[in-house]
Amino acid sequence: MLETSGTFQPGVIEEIQRKAATGLYAIRGYGTLRERRWATFDDLTFLPCSLTRIPLEGYREKCSTKTVLGTRHAKKPIELDIPIMITGMSWGALSLNAKTALAKGAALAGSSNTTGDGGMLRAERDASRCLIYEVLPSRYGINIHDMREADGIELTIGQGAKPGTGGLLLGSKVSDVIAHQRDLPIGVDQRSPARHPDFLGPDDMVIKVEELREATDGQVPIFVKMGASRVFDDVKLAAKAGADVIVVDGMEGGTAASPAILQEHTGLPTLAAVCEARRALEDIGVYGEVQLIIAGGIRDGVDAAKAIALGADAIYIGTAALIALNCNRAMYEIDYHAIGAAPYHCHHCHTGRCPVGITTQNPELMKRLDIDEGAERVLNLLRAMTLEIQMLARACGKSDIHHLEPEDMAALTAEASMICGIPLAGTRKVFGS
Amino acid sequence: MAEVTCEGRSIREINVAIKSHIRGGDNEITVRNPGGRHNLGVAILEPAHVTIEGSAGYYCGALADGSTVEVTGSAGWGLAESMLNGTAIVHGSAGNGAGAAIRGGAVIVYGDAAARAGVSMKGGLVLIGGDCGYMAGFMGQKGALIVCGDAGDAFADSMYATVCYVGGKIAGLGNDTVIEALSSADVEFLDATLERYLPFEIRKTKPSGKNFKKIVSGRRLWNFNQRDRKIWQEAL
Repeated sequence: MLETSGTFQPGVIEEIQRKAATGLYAIRGYGTLRERRWATFDDLTFLPCSLTRIPLEGYREKCSTKTVLGTRHAKKPIELDIPIMITGMSWGALSLNAKTALAKGAALAGSSNTTGDGGMLRAERDASRCLIYEVLPSRYGINIHDMREADGIELTIGQGAKPGTGGLLLGSKVSDVIAHQRDLPIGVDQRSPARHPDFLGPDDMVIKVEELREATDGQVPIFVKMGASRVFDDVKLAAKAGADVIVVDGMEGGTAASPAILQEHTGLPTLAAVCEARRALEDIGVYGEVQLIIAGGIRDGVDAAKAIALGADAIYIGTAALIALNCNRAMYEIDYHAIGAAPYHCHHCHTGRCPVGITTQNPELMKRLDIDEGAERVLNLLRAMTLEIQMLARACGKSDIHHLEPEDMAALTAEASMICGIPLAGTRKVFGS
Repeated sequence: MAEVTCEGRSIREINVAIKSHIRGGDNEITVRNPGGRHNLGVAILEPAHVTIEGSAGYYCGALADGSTVEVTGSAGWGLAESMLNGTAIVHGSAGNGAGAAIRGGAVIVYGDAAARAGVSMKGGLVLIGGDCGYMAGFMGQKGALIVCGDAGDAFADSMYATVCYVGGKIAGLGNDTVIEALSSADVEFLDATLERYLPFEIRKTKPSGKNFKKIVSGRRLWNFNQRDRKIWQEAL
């Protein structure tokens, strides 16, 4: 009988041998690939109405999904028809067709999309109903005119897949167009800075937020986005700095390219992040005044509804939206195999050879993603997710999805109970309290 | 010429007053009693000349396109950051990140600049009349960084295609840097740039173009190569 080491399993051996051959850490896209053994939204269940509460008719009674962000300071808060938004993904990491399809799909659904670490794409702005403009440490493509066309500004401190580390775009995707947009030499492996070039800590950030507000005449909300790390403290500091909206991106969040170890071993899970973020806002008395967006591995309306019940005002999706555009779909299989991947197993965004035309700058591959068809699929996903949230909200007797609350759920594990402050199913107690 | 007084006004009111004058056709505005206020003259997108009489705080003249912002005192962090085009002139010294991430235009500091002058610059010119602190030119992508005096440690670290010139001593070069011989075009560029942007009384104390050192990227960090393992270890 052949025996396998429990420590040095085949994958570990392959990785050590790969390092021995190349001298470099592994780089890939997509986000964590680990089997999730930490507490997730799956560890919660909704408690629909029975005798103690009255449900709404599941398929027809009014259940509002309207979502308003930026009510704290902005003259023009963002009003969305649904609470699910498209997160920032760069033009560079994504193709022009993907960015445009996401913008168009979000607009059709009455929602927003976000630029990314490469500045604004004109086609993206034209297709958007509501565009959030990201200001990242790299400042690639930064343009005051684009910023002033935006409906919201997002000052990005970090992202869930790799908090504390800058972006990465390998040379295969730094095409002439992308190089021009980012003011970079063609074909370089672009490693973005982790720190902003003109501020460092929370005290400086107060001034930065004020600057962005000045640059946009106080019209639009200022978001601050962070990877989930020391969430309780970071959220309070961002709120103190004047953020209208805080985005917390959990460790299940995706990326188009990053050292694999960062995706697997840094940051807090999204479930833990939303709970800490809410507590932080409550701790300084601004819960409800500062809106909270949660991101990181949100797959469906169930995850979204649970995040809302735990305190989020809105949800960002990224990977799920790309899957709607055919990411990992069983088509062009020869091209998956050519990059060492297969449908359902592809995390090769970093190669620039995306078989379905999403994470590529290759014009021939890009053609495989039809903008209108992609937009329709994104629209359908957003609609279906919203219906799922409404279905759960109605079952819990809510005429507005934002009325979902922790009391509408029970925890299925002791860990989830402790993290969320929700009684463990079958008990009346929060575990550990 | 129009005047804006800062005393008793919020920064919002000050910037609104400046822009209101510009919209009204005043191309020369003097801002009095700035008191080191942050975010003075942010996002001016017209070719107006705004003179700040005194010192300014963070992000003075930032996110500009086409304006000239002149500070007769000193300026804080992020002077003219992310400027697309235009000119920022500081008679005194500048704090960290002067000219950070500019994509065009000229950032001129007659005195010294603190750390990371020209960090992540993507075009344009950053000209420091005096000395600069550590990590000036860090991750510079395009454009030119000129330091007439001495440069601090880790100068020009991890650059892409910014070209740096130093007239004095360099405390230490950053990762992946190369000192390149000056060409006649470089000397001509330096002399013309100093002539254009520095007043005679300041310029006459600076080295002439032929006495500058030129620093560019060694391009070994542009793409990973395991033969360059040592430099990657230090860089990352």
